[in-house]
Amino acid sequence: MNQTELLDQFILEARDCLEQIGQRLLEVEKSPTDAELLNDLFRLVHTLKGNCGLFEFKPLERVVHAGEDLLDRVRNGTLGYSNDMADALLDAMDFTAQMIDEIEQTGAISSAAEGRSQALATALRAHLAGPAPTAVATQSAPADAPVTATAAATTAATTTAPAATPHVTPAPAWMDRIPTTLLERFPDAVVWRYRPEPECFFKGEDPWLLSRQVPALKHLDVGTQGAWPPVEEADCYQCNLDLVGLSDAPIAYVSDHFRCVPEQVEVIALSALRPAPPVAAPAPVPVATTTPAAVATTVAPTLSVAPGGGQAAANLRKRALQMWDDQIALLSRSGIAPGTVAAVRLSLQGLLRATADDSAALHLTTLLALPANASAAAVGQWAAQHRPTGEAHGDASNATDHPDGLDVHADHPASDGSGLPPGTPPDAARRSSGDDGGHQKVLKVGQEKIDRLMDLIGEMVVAKNALPYLAQRAETHFQQRELAREIKAQYAVINRIAEDMQHAIMQVRMLPVGTVFQRFGRLVRDISRKLGKEVELVVEGEDTEADKNVIESLADPLIHIIRNSLDHGIELPEARRKAGKPAHGTIRVAARQESDRVVIEIDDDGAGVDPNRIRRKAIERGLIPEDKAATLTDTEAVQLIFLPGFSTADTISDLSGRGVGMDVVRTAVERINGHVELSSQFGKGTRLRLSLPLSMAVTNVMIIEAGGRRFGVPMDLIVETVRVHADDIHHFKQAQTTVLRGRIVPLRALHGLLALDDTPHLNEEGEHAVLVVRFGSENVGLLVDQFHGATDIILKPLEGVLAGLTGFAGTALMGDGSVLMVLNPKELV
Amino acid sequence: MGIRYLKKYAALEDIVTVEDAETLFGWLKQQAKPAVNLSKCVHVHAAVLQVLLLVKPQVHGHAADPWLAQALGCAPGQASD
Repeated sequence: MNQTELLDQFILEARDCLEQIGQRLLEVEKSPTDAELLNDLFRLVHTLKGNCGLFEFKPLERVVHAGEDLLDRVRNGTLGYSNDMADALLDAMDFTAQMIDEIEQTGAISSAAEGRSQALATALRAHLAGPAPTAVATQSAPADAPVTATAAATTAATTTAPAATPHVTPAPAWMDRIPTTLLERFPDAVVWRYRPEPECFFKGEDPWLLSRQVPALKHLDVGTQGAWPPVEEADCYQCNLDLVGLSDAPIAYVSDHFRCVPEQVEVIALSALRPAPPVAAPAPVPVATTTPAAVATTVAPTLSVAPGGGQAAANLRKRALQMWDDQIALLSRSGIAPGTVAAVRLSLQGLLRATADDSAALHLTTLLALPANASAAAVGQWAAQHRPTGEAHGDASNATDHPDGLDVHADHPASDGSGLPPGTPPDAARRSSGDDGGHQKVLKVGQEKIDRLMDLIGEMVVAKNALPYLAQRAETHFQQRELAREIKAQYAVINRIAEDMQHAIMQVRMLPVGTVFQRFGRLVRDISRKLGKEVELVVEGEDTEADKNVIESLADPLIHIIRNSLDHGIELPEARRKAGKPAHGTIRVAARQESDRVVIEIDDDGAGVDPNRIRRKAIERGLIPEDKAATLTDTEAVQLIFLPGFSTADTISDLSGRGVGMDVVRTAVERINGHVELSSQFGKGTRLRLSLPLSMAVTNVMIIEAGGRRFGVPMDLIVETVRVHADDIHHFKQAQTTVLRGRIVPLRALHGLLALDDTPHLNEEGEHAVLVVRFGSENVGLLVDQFHGATDIILKPLEGVLAGLTGFAGTALMGDGSVLMVLNPKELV
Repeated sequence: MGIRYLKKYAALEDIVTVEDAETLFGWLKQQAKPAVNLSKCVHVHAAVLQVLLLVKPQVHGHAADPWLAQALGCAPGQASD
């Protein structure tokens, strides 16, 4: 995959991510404590960040990364989700979307974005300092009890207090590596942990230099991310360093210092950890010298103090199991020195003593019974068999493949690449990883590829339709009856395959209408906040599918409609209360399929449309004469809002009032062969009903002839075809009419409409061919020369200079290779 | 300046760069009693520091950089194997 392809893929996925992120953000706003949602959101942002990291899009990455950090804190329950935060995140999302657009167009981000990116990232990070929600934290406290094993042990041992103080950022385990005296001496200092990625040396980074140069550095401790491999096998260019330090500089300086490696660094201000007593950190454990035996000896006593301490005990048990697994992992390495094996045995003994239950004592005797010179494999096997069980089983087994070796803590934030929250119960973890594997493979294909397929199948259908003509020629021209029959047989086969194929491709092009509905959440939220209205959006039937083109052309009209509902429909909360309605308005968008059409209904329980006001405004704007307005029924009057140039708003706002609203909606919907109907009860609400074709790919047309030329007319507009005797046509000045079934139908000659130099022909009986078509509620007769039956065609809209010809809906290729112009009678008449 | 490999120890001087890490590592591995002299050392690259932490050679002299000295301070002595 070359760079451009990779970039294309990135853009595709980023868009996808952004769309989902936007949706989740809105959902999270509704239920800010839903851990599942937050996790999902975090995972998406995490993926996006990871993708950004593949390319050199620094401004983009910075913003996304800031967002990720923020969400991580929210998801851990250390930070409350607020509206302001949502605003910042949505802003950042918009910016990201812009950047993606820019990347798609130019392949790079202009330097102008740098400033905004910084500002957005700062805005996001500003929320990081926000207060932690007591409610959220308490709720999540049992799940991810934010205390490390050692800290918990000390708390339990010294104060017998419950494990966690919920409203405080948990002190990470690595803080143990900073001497307590320093923590006390610099209460406002910043602690950080820098774990360079293994490949960092190849990027020209010098983590040691970077750490040493941290502003106002007071303490620096060097540890390892995993145990050192045996000297013979070690690769000196695989970075295994784990640096922890304390700096007296402001957190911003330290963060800025590590700006190049933000994802490898955790920076925490000590002030954020208070009132957690800094004394909670016991004497530092020098990690560089921590052999397994040392761990066992340091942990064993604390463990034995704790067994009764509820949460703390559970944590300790979990930790003990992790260590046990670490030992197994250590033993499974190749080339282990006998000394290491001995150390591991010691650790296992220590752990067993610490767990202090009956089975452990039993295991202890068997362990001691193992021959002193037992091989690493033997000890490892024993350890695996006699692993103490505990409720933390799942978590601990996860920890085995954890990269940070000895420094693993089950509740360590953000360090696990799986993106799962630390507190996720093991079954949830398994479920989600199983999902990944069990999912059907989904191919992501660019739209233009599907469009191309559609074009090709269109050509295929046309080519296929040429075969009957060929068969006919073979029979009539070459007198080859046999051959003609064979061609026809082959045609039947090809025809079947082509139809199946067409059907399959149409299926691919089907999109759920939900893809359009997604944007509404954001729209409603933003506009209702701006207008000071309380609006709830209810979406139903978002799974209803329709052709991609239909869905796409639906987006703008629907947004218009929703904006109208928000602006004109839903009243302000006080007005609603006065009218005896609930303070918050509801907009309901429902989609469903009705035979071969998709129906979308948009209801609001707002003020409704006032027919008298509509009449007045229509007269004011000169859209209809006054006398006609008076004769209109209320239902008819309401339809006036679809007239071009109609607007009830007295002032032009950025939302509406330009008089292009509903007219645009109607035109857009009718362009895709849809109808729009409006019904409104004044004071109760408004309902708009859009009815759209499922697919626009295949159009059923009737072929007619006028002036020696053939034209197609969309079948859904045709009411009937009749023959009218010339004598039955009444001439009134230029206008021609006839009476059909007791109703007067105006007649127009197609020749005249298309400016053909011909007049409608009469057949032998002196009759005109009249095609009656429907215009809204009225029927109009078109005088043509001849009818030629119906056919399915693939309508291609006019392009280029021809696109301005509104009289034609498009063109289609016929089986004999000729081009059929399809009329758009609505524009013609 | 880099590293001078002497009979009994390697003298790390001035600034030891990332390129020197591999040679130093190879050299230290061959020594029966690996030892380095840091008395003239101003800075070592992280990769070199990692080698020193891994091999844990005997350290002669006191590193000019206090952070380095501290980091290596806990390194020498009881190698686990």
